[in-house]
Amino acid sequence: MPGRRSARWALPVAAIAPAVTFGWLVSQAGAVLDGDTAAVDVEWIPQLALSISLRLDGFGLLMGLLVSGIGVLVLLYSTAYFGRRDDLGRLAGLLVAFAGAMLGIVWADGLLTLFVFWELTSITSFLLIGFDDTNAAARAAATRAFLVTGAGGLAMLAGLIILTIVGDTTTISGLLADPPSGTLTDVALVLVLLGAFTKSAQFPFHFWLPGAMAAPTPVSAYLHSATMVKAGLVVVARFAPAFATEGPWRVLVVGAGLASLIVGGIGAMRQQDAKLALAQGTVSQLGFLMVLLGLGTPATTYAGVAMLLAHALFKASLFLSVGVIDHEAGTRDMRRLRGLARALPVVAASVVVAAASMAAIPPTIGFVAKEKAIDGLLENEVGGIGTVALVGIVLGSVLTVAYTIRITVGLLGNDAPGVEVDGTVDADHGPVDPSSVHRPSFGLVGAPALLALLSLVFGLGAGTVGDWLAEVTASLDPETSSKHLVLWPGFNEALLVSAGIVAAGVTLWWFTRAATRTLDARRSQATITYDRIYDGLLEGARRITAATQSGSLPLYLAVVLSTVAVSLFVALAAGATDAISSPRFSNSPIEFVAVVVTGLLAIAIVFARNRFGAAVLLGGSGYALAIVYLIQGAPDLAITQFLVETLTIVVFLLVLARLPSDFAPAPAWAPRIVRIGIATAVGVAVAVFALSASGSRTEPSVGEDYVALSEPEAGGRNVVNVILVDFRGFDTMGEITVLAIAGAGVVNLVRAARRQQRRKNLDDGTADEHEQDADPSRRVGVWR
Amino acid sequence: MTTPVRTRRSVVLTETVNGLTPVLMLFSIFLTLRGHNAPGGGFAGGLVMGSAVVLRYLAAGPRGVRSLRIDPIVLIGTGLFVAVVVGLTSLVVDGSFLESAIWKFHVAILGDVKIVSSSLFDIGVHILVVGVVMAVIVALAEADDEMRGRR
Repeated sequence: MPGRRSARWALPVAAIAPAVTFGWLVSQAGAVLDGDTAAVDVEWIPQLALSISLRLDGFGLLMGLLVSGIGVLVLLYSTAYFGRRDDLGRLAGLLVAFAGAMLGIVWADGLLTLFVFWELTSITSFLLIGFDDTNAAARAAATRAFLVTGAGGLAMLAGLIILTIVGDTTTISGLLADPPSGTLTDVALVLVLLGAFTKSAQFPFHFWLPGAMAAPTPVSAYLHSATMVKAGLVVVARFAPAFATEGPWRVLVVGAGLASLIVGGIGAMRQQDAKLALAQGTVSQLGFLMVLLGLGTPATTYAGVAMLLAHALFKASLFLSVGVIDHEAGTRDMRRLRGLARALPVVAASVVVAAASMAAIPPTIGFVAKEKAIDGLLENEVGGIGTVALVGIVLGSVLTVAYTIRITVGLLGNDAPGVEVDGTVDADHGPVDPSSVHRPSFGLVGAPALLALLSLVFGLGAGTVGDWLAEVTASLDPETSSKHLVLWPGFNEALLVSAGIVAAGVTLWWFTRAATRTLDARRSQATITYDRIYDGLLEGARRITAATQSGSLPLYLAVVLSTVAVSLFVALAAGATDAISSPRFSNSPIEFVAVVVTGLLAIAIVFARNRFGAAVLLGGSGYALAIVYLIQGAPDLAITQFLVETLTIVVFLLVLARLPSDFAPAPAWAPRIVRIGIATAVGVAVAVFALSASGSRTEPSVGEDYVALSEPEAGGRNVVNVILVDFRGFDTMGEITVLAIAGAGVVNLVRAARRQQRRKNLDDGTADEHEQDADPSRRVGVWR
Repeated sequence: MTTPVRTRRSVVLTETVNGLTPVLMLFSIFLTLRGHNAPGGGFAGGLVMGSAVVLRYLAAGPRGVRSLRIDPIVLIGTGLFVAVVVGLTSLVVDGSFLESAIWKFHVAILGDVKIVSSSLFDIGVHILVVGVVMAVIVALAEADDEMRGRR
């Protein structure tokens, strides 16, 4: 089947796009690191000063290399991971679309450009998390992630717009060059931070990230370790050097970051599923990065950039390794895995190296980056909040070491008790037999191994890497270029702190290793709160709807008509009565007759005794009115009025044939006097308003222009039609769209009713004449 | 209390409708096409064609509409599609939504012919309006079926 074959090649073909990007970035790297920036500006809506402006600077280069490089690896890995599936075309398309949106974020210079790409990543990641669209849990997780990040995105949009106004610029570079300040700026920054926190899964919005693990593992590795969750950090990193001293910035960034660091770390200790433990660890690491990049001092920013690189490498590697293990051993439950060090040696080595980088064990890049971070925090250029950050990060790092050992031992260790179900361990939940573990293909182990290797190589080559990263950091904060930054300063007090952290972490793991085995992953408090808010919102909407939509047509009519009458009377009372003029009559006697007939028929409707009579009288009144139009010189209007009136009456009568012939008794709340009152008020208000409106003209009519332009501009002599299809064609477009929606609504209501009827008939077990009629094979056309 | 659904058909009505249908069809197209220069237009034309459908329903009941074998949703979609395509084409060509383009050329027997792009837009409106009228009639026919089912 051609579809099958193309789906199989979709992933490697899709990898070409990020591969080309990666190659191009490498070719630009020299110039960009020397401080040259490449910029593109595409006009989008010039009237709103909107354009797509992208700028490639050092930080953009680093992030772009990560996004495209890991993108290539993930796509190739996915080829081996998924094997044959016929929805891989969709996966490949979504992953490339996501990568493109992510590149847009890291290269965005325009504030609104940033927002556009930001939302694009929300949408593509929604589709990717819910990729297994037959799985209700995946759909729920996708919705949750989308609502949380989407709400944050809207907050950020508001913040960006305020910044555009107070900063009088539309670009990030313009904003950073001349940063505004004041209350309005503070409000804007809080809003922008809200967006960054939701996107980067910061406390208290962190709960969507573990849920997002419902996505296939390669997707999780790409989105929720290396790229999308970094989007918030990108924004914070770009803004921090200019705005860190502004208002509540540091308090918020350090508060949310440290809370995430600790909450995520504890979460990682509780999980038995290795992927979920890694996801919690990601929340924790993102919090760490948030603090570093958010403080806005040169040393911490530098450490943050290094940590960003380190985290992308080790976390992607670990996720992909867990994917291999899941693929070959059939489970990710750490209580069931054993003997993998021998069965999967390459994977085991990758896990060990990547975990070493995560726990900051030398000589990995993770160690170097964390050294720099602690060193930077010990220097402390920001006072009390810096001390808080240091203490929090030390505590969080102890947790990091503990959960890293726990995950590594859980994945690779030989002690596997299995999972107890109802007090016993059955075959499906027992320890995995190492001899049954498949050997993974090169395609599967290549990517995690390469990323782990890079973690090691970059750590060993910290001097060179440090020089590159110093250039990258200089593009975020020009101040850093004056300070000579080195990644590995040698033996100093930071190393002592690190040693203490590792020792404490090992101790913590040792004493909790048995206890954490028996923990069941439970829904976090934040998830419960989110669910309550979500359910409450739906319930509230239901109640409001139930209260306002009673389903009583008389009540709806009363409300709508009273509103019309009251608002018109208010308008008239506000002075519109000055212009009341008598309507223009032509001298035709037929017109007089038509007007009188229209009025008489209208009055007669009020006295009609049954529905049928009322409908006929209403139609007659409409016909008489059409004659008035004709005499006043509006043949188009008259034609339409005639046709609409005819069709309406026919439909009216056909419907009435199915209803009781007499009017339903009036509801108790509307005695005769109330109904007469509302009707009279509406009639008088509309009549007076019509008279007043026709006399209130202050500008010359556009009609003359239209008449003059009709033939030369639009090639039509019927100006009414030319207005409809050309001058005001957009209005017509809107109207027919409404008409189309109404028509489609009618058709779908009919079909829904038919389905319901059919189901009812099936339930009744009656295959009557109607049921046979409903048989789709016997029905064609409109009845499908 | 409900009025019983008609079971007997009037021969006169059926024959009249059969004769009238092609005339109404032609007239509706005529109305739509002349709309640019004289009273008429896609909306009026669509309503006339729609009334032809209504007449068939009055004469022959649900069967009269069913025998047309046309799904109203297809008509609605087609009409909207034509209108949007015409609008977007002029947006691309002239830089403004629904800006009319005028083509004049000479055809052997017909003489000078002038076509304005907005007439195409009107044809979309026409198709859509027919679809909407049909949708309503289908809903009514459905109710007929339901009554028969409940009988």
